[in-house]
Amino acid sequence: MLDKFFRPKSVAVIGASTHPNKVGHVILWNFIRGFKGSVYPVNPSHDTVLGLKCYKTVKDIPEDVDLAVIAIPAEFVPSALKDCGKKGVKHVIIVSGGFSEIGRNDLEDEIEKIRKKYNIRVIGPNCIGVFDAYSQVDTLFMPRYRLERPRKGRISFVSQSGAVGSAILDWAAAKGFGFSKFISYGNACDVDEVDLLDYLEKDKTTGVIGMYIEGTRRGRELYNSLKRITKKKPVIVIKGGKTKAGSKAASSHTGALAGSARVWEAMLKQSGAIIADDIRRMFNYSRLLAEQPLPKGKRIGIVTNGGGFGVIASDALEKYGLELANLDKKTIDVIKKHVPEYAVVKNPVDLVGDADAHRYEIALDALLEDNNVDVILVLILFQTAGVQSEIIDIIASKSDQKKKPIIAFSAGGDFTQVHMRMLEKVGVPVFDSLEEAADAIKKMYLYSVSVGNAE
Amino acid sequence: MYIREMKLIEKYGIKTAKTTPVKTIGQAKQFIEKTGFPIVIKVDTDKPIHKTDVGGVKILENWRDLAQFEKNVKKIESSGVNVTGFVMQEVVSGVELFIGGKRDPQFGPVILFGLGGIFVEILDDVSVRLAPITKSDAKEMVKEIKGYPALSGARGLKPIKMTELINALVAVSDIITKNRNIKEIDINPLIANEKHVKAVDVRII
Repeated sequence: MLDKFFRPKSVAVIGASTHPNKVGHVILWNFIRGFKGSVYPVNPSHDTVLGLKCYKTVKDIPEDVDLAVIAIPAEFVPSALKDCGKKGVKHVIIVSGGFSEIGRNDLEDEIEKIRKKYNIRVIGPNCIGVFDAYSQVDTLFMPRYRLERPRKGRISFVSQSGAVGSAILDWAAAKGFGFSKFISYGNACDVDEVDLLDYLEKDKTTGVIGMYIEGTRRGRELYNSLKRITKKKPVIVIKGGKTKAGSKAASSHTGALAGSARVWEAMLKQSGAIIADDIRRMFNYSRLLAEQPLPKGKRIGIVTNGGGFGVIASDALEKYGLELANLDKKTIDVIKKHVPEYAVVKNPVDLVGDADAHRYEIALDALLEDNNVDVILVLILFQTAGVQSEIIDIIASKSDQKKKPIIAFSAGGDFTQVHMRMLEKVGVPVFDSLEEAADAIKKMYLYSVSVGNAE
Repeated sequence: MYIREMKLIEKYGIKTAKTTPVKTIGQAKQFIEKTGFPIVIKVDTDKPIHKTDVGGVKILENWRDLAQFEKNVKKIESSGVNVTGFVMQEVVSGVELFIGGKRDPQFGPVILFGLGGIFVEILDDVSVRLAPITKSDAKEMVKEIKGYPALSGARGLKPIKMTELINALVAVSDIITKNRNIKEIDINPLIANEKHVKAVDVRII
């Protein structure tokens, strides 16, 4: 039912403008850049916008319209929506604000009446709408030079707040994290978080669902959906308004009721959702779960070219209740042949300071073969001269086998940062904090246990 | 009313402390002459009150305690609450727990569990689930509270009868999901020892 929001063949942008600072201009531009279907600007005061013929109303468009995006002042929205109804448009995203969130419930009720009459599904109002990395549906009214769009990937994110959502996208793009869909649903006069979760449950390009939520009007349905979906795909939730101060900000924010923090937490836990305390952690969990196979256990094999970081990694893993794997004798024998005599081969495997990409490859292959190892944590310090850029390809090729989860750690300045982004882009989650890496591995392990993949 | 509430939870399989209703303090005296001290006496009232807070519950060690209790009863009555009778109850010793059931405005029926008394108040040590719960949910709820070692036999304490506690949690979940007219249920205290888990007091709204 909601598929046309993400995969329409034709789109009308109502409120398309020639002024570069107008929301309707940015949205139209986004569609022109990436979207493969037909795009129709609608605005009674222009003949053309961005080189496209502009229509006075949506009814004047000669072809069928699958999706309309409305970006005009609130008072004009009802009549634009009515036009959509008459035209037969069944999917509408209303980005305009100025409805129930500022007390204009009358305007929102009017929208509700019209959409019911014409059987239209509506996302919004008061939202930034939809971004789909595959179809390039993009109603985000932030220009691309200000807000980068992330690469194609398997994470989809549902956000009650547009601001939280757009910051997440920008950050994800900069870090090289992959996305499938992003939806900001605002006041949720029709399509709400439950509808969207149910849609993403069946969406083939969504492997992991992230969610920012402040309140819900359908508590039980949300619980039931989460309970069902988490058995198939991990759902990671950031609950806004946990504290008393946060709740107060939330109720004046989107006009939704925030439930008592304790019941929310219980509900999420019971439903099998993964709770993230902040956006950074949400990404830590979701990129691991999106990019890597689920582990069969919690025994970690560490490979490093710096002894000290091996020690810090061991401490962090222990703190989160994970175990250092007891390496098989065969693993140790293989690696010993390729490292200097003074290197002590045990877990963590210290390839020592002059390690090159080849040495990493030997160690990674050995750990992938070793039945005592469930997860591989590979530490790379790019400061040493031995490590060349080809290490990215080597780790990527091991990761692509999808045999065991491979997670990387690195820390350093510009040279390191470039390589970290490269790793992330080839689907190897990379951390600059071993503590955060351990936390994320733990969450991935617990999810694996919950779906019966690990003990 | 009090007896009716006890009967309801018994119907769902929760054990209760042996409770006998009497009409008057005079009848209470006769009862004690047969059973002896110590024994617990509680007021039964026409509307639900926090009995402990107003002195409506007392462990009687001797006749002087009963006289003191009579004074409390007068005070309760002067506050406008109608004392309809009394219940005599066996003394149960063990760890004080509570099980609560409520209806959350957003999520519907929920179950709460924790150690009773000061632990709830001071440590905020409560676990919560949406009802209905399964036995494994109930087990998780018990293990989740910080006071769990006090139930599992830490430091030479005898472990409590865990199966009965799990059953009691599932029973309260059944009660709140099956009885739409019940807004709130509060079994407090529920006393647990190595032999059994018994409800000593229950409030239903």
